[in-house]
Amino acid sequence: MARKLTIQDLKTNVWVDWCPGCGNFGILSAMYQAFAELNLDPQKTVVVSGIGCSGKIAHFINVSGVHTLHGRSLAFAQGIKYANPDLTVVVNVGDGDLLGIGAAHFVALGRRNPDIVVIMHDNTVYGLTKGQASPTLRINLKPKALPKPNIQDAVNPIGLAIAAGYTFIARGYAARVQHLKELIKKAIEHRGAAFIDVLQPCVTYDDIHTYDYYNQRVYDLQEAGWDPLVRNPEELPEKAAQALAKSYEGDGKISIGIFLINPHVSTFEERLANRLPDYLKAPPAREAIEVDGRPVIDHELFKRIFSRYIIEF
Amino acid sequence: MKTLRYILGGPQGGGLETSSEVLSWAFARSGYGVISDREYFSNIKGRHSYVHATVSATEYPKSLDYPVDIVAAMDAETVFTHFQDLREGGYLIYNVDEDKTLYSSIPSMEHDLRDRLTALFKELGIDGTLASLTKYLRSRGVRVIALSYKELLSEIQRKEGIVPSQVSRYISSIIIGAVAAITGLDPNALDQSLRRRFRNEEVYRHNRALAMLVIDTVRSQFGSELKLDEPSIKSKEVLVVSGNDAVAMAKTVAGVRFQAYYPITPAADESFTLEEYETLGGAGSIVVFQTEDELSAINAAIGAALTGARASVATSGPGFDLMVEGLSWAGQNEVPVVVTYYQRGGPSTGQPTRGGQSDLLSSVFASHGEYPRIVLASGDHEEAFYDTIDAFNYAETYQVPVIHLLDKFLANTIATISMPDFSKIRITRGVLASKGLREYRRFDMSSPISPRAFLGDYVMWYSGDEHDEYGHIDEDPVNRVRMMEKRMRKLEIIEREIPEERRYAYYGPDKPSILLIGWGFVKGAAVKAVEELNEEGIRAGYFHIRTFIPFPTNSVTKFIREVGLENVVAVEHNYMAQAAKLVTMNTGLLVSKSIVKFTGRPIYVNELVNAVKNVMKGSTREVLSYGA
Repeated sequence: MARKLTIQDLKTNVWVDWCPGCGNFGILSAMYQAFAELNLDPQKTVVVSGIGCSGKIAHFINVSGVHTLHGRSLAFAQGIKYANPDLTVVVNVGDGDLLGIGAAHFVALGRRNPDIVVIMHDNTVYGLTKGQASPTLRINLKPKALPKPNIQDAVNPIGLAIAAGYTFIARGYAARVQHLKELIKKAIEHRGAAFIDVLQPCVTYDDIHTYDYYNQRVYDLQEAGWDPLVRNPEELPEKAAQALAKSYEGDGKISIGIFLINPHVSTFEERLANRLPDYLKAPPAREAIEVDGRPVIDHELFKRIFSRYIIEF
Repeated sequence: MKTLRYILGGPQGGGLETSSEVLSWAFARSGYGVISDREYFSNIKGRHSYVHATVSATEYPKSLDYPVDIVAAMDAETVFTHFQDLREGGYLIYNVDEDKTLYSSIPSMEHDLRDRLTALFKELGIDGTLASLTKYLRSRGVRVIALSYKELLSEIQRKEGIVPSQVSRYISSIIIGAVAAITGLDPNALDQSLRRRFRNEEVYRHNRALAMLVIDTVRSQFGSELKLDEPSIKSKEVLVVSGNDAVAMAKTVAGVRFQAYYPITPAADESFTLEEYETLGGAGSIVVFQTEDELSAINAAIGAALTGARASVATSGPGFDLMVEGLSWAGQNEVPVVVTYYQRGGPSTGQPTRGGQSDLLSSVFASHGEYPRIVLASGDHEEAFYDTIDAFNYAETYQVPVIHLLDKFLANTIATISMPDFSKIRITRGVLASKGLREYRRFDMSSPISPRAFLGDYVMWYSGDEHDEYGHIDEDPVNRVRMMEKRMRKLEIIEREIPEERRYAYYGPDKPSILLIGWGFVKGAAVKAVEELNEEGIRAGYFHIRTFIPFPTNSVTKFIREVGLENVVAVEHNYMAQAAKLVTMNTGLLVSKSIVKFTGRPIYVNELVNAVKNVMKGSTREVLSYGA
């Protein structure tokens, strides 16, 4: 691209129909800024989203958007990335979407470590279906939409991401847009699977996790001196254990910032390239499969590849 | 002999597949046509498994039939399970060391079979030992080849210096040798086949020595009494493939470069074959992605398809059910994705390793909301190969999901087929957007099929929600009507463009007096049954449905009208006669006679011939059940 990308370039003319005051506005704003500052090529950038309030974000950003199914955005994102590793793939997904219906995909993506960024809009409720408890809502809490206090325990998203093998793990807060923007930029620049848990008040259904609530509790891990970098593979168990301990901090303090960066794991695309010598040069999306309507695998090549199945007389 | 039929039986995991593969290859190498079906329990080791094969000197066979000429048994259970499958004068090859074995003492035998044998043996005066059964069989004219497997193995162990604990691994070569002896199989062809199967030189040598020892032993007593005629099939090249392999190979030719799957029987072998040949001999590569579940598989394939890669999944019933949500997204977003669907026995896990055709209605109707799709169904290995390529061409031409129906019978059956005719194979990628457009609208409404661009080419949007031309959410009623019509009109285009003769095949005489209608693996048995019925003077014909969407409405209507509705019989591997329901839905003609089989075993020619005769005598429904 000749011209530097601006935030105006990144806005679509689709009306942003989130509730006034929704935490998602902060996330959107951080996305615009991060994309502009990284000067991403809009054609080569894909925002994949799931279902719910967070899912709509794909329509608000002027890069390609794939607004998918509840729980399945990571599967779509991986298909896109593995078929065309040249694309920058950023997933925006809700907490119910990612850790409820999509939990298996969340774990599996960590094991593979593709170069994909997963940004979770964490508001502790299912907003678009009127405030049911999400997997990040703690037990016995009763946000105003719930008829009874929550009977299920909350999952620890940061802890789960550490255990699943994500190699960049952070938490952001929607009201700290500059901080979040930096996290998103670092996550995109990180080579491997990046996960950002973004605290995001639902102003309509959650009267507990308000801006006030978070403002009183959040503190910056990095300002507090936490170094997230795993300097060598041997350091991982110790570092991961410490990061996990931080993710379990109590109600009094909520840490934001980067918990863990582990640069020592090969990405899934690199693993594919090790097995498939042509993979990065000609990934599935860009490989020629026909010449003038005839398959590139012709009679002779077919015989060569599948000789084990062929008898010649 | 023109045609040879045999059963090889033994415990699952005991070398049966090896015996089957070596013999199939050796017969094929000698110029014969072979089809070999494998039946097995959902079990890794120990349950009874068998191979049922037809070898022909005159054609590439596509059907299986009873009775058989040879039952070759690795164990006593095989004899107890299959002795009734032998024709008069047929050959039983068995292990005389097991003579004292009682059928009732075999733990792997299903109690239902044991109960049936109890009743039968009482009636026949058999005491239940293997010795008493073989004595009875001899008295009924069965030629019994009693071999001491123990002696053969210890002899070969001595000669070849095999470690005693390893020698039982070679039992498969006893079966191979005995069948080779009786049928006069060319030793060179057998040798080449053994060499192909056993890449380890020592293992090859041991197996070869044992097979030769058995051949000498059996020939000295029996000669080659079932010698096959010289083959009359003239071919330069032949493929010996399972249905799974045929589809995998076709996918590489079709240009599939992304396959996602979650392990499930009987689909998974297709993905294994693709992975084995993933580098395509240097002509590119296929990403074979084993996902965490089927939900992920279909959606990853859809994601890959959005980037322009030809993408597919391979699955079976329970897996397909999980994919239906994703399929609907693909329908809404006009994504060319192909689902290769190997049916097996249901409902639920049903009969996970057995065959069936009970998922047809699910394939045609599975959806929330309405969207166009194409449904193809293959009847044999050749159809499976070409249908696979068509599936991807149709998917991209019409920008719709395509479901390609196969079944376990086809998946696990190894058959000789002609080399694909590459002069007939075309790759058509449909309407693509030009480069350098100022603005791209993925769902441009100027035509039902909008020019396609790939993620990476332009900025574009997709949404499972109803959307406008750009792909942004749009719930306006006028837009909704236009967008639904844009998508659904593709059905009219598909109806117009895919020719009627692509949608069915007819086998039989002009103006038949009875018309069988079937699909999928029914084809092989039906074509053969029709031939036999005509030889007997019964003018039977077989109408084979190859596409369910689009449906061969005009042709089937014409055929039904000519023969008269009362002379039409659906033949299917399901309880409901599901294809007949679709005939009725599409034509308004109620097909009410059926021959069905839902035991999980394929329809055999002889039972189909009988059933057709029963229908002609007035029966309206025949339920077939032959086979172990």
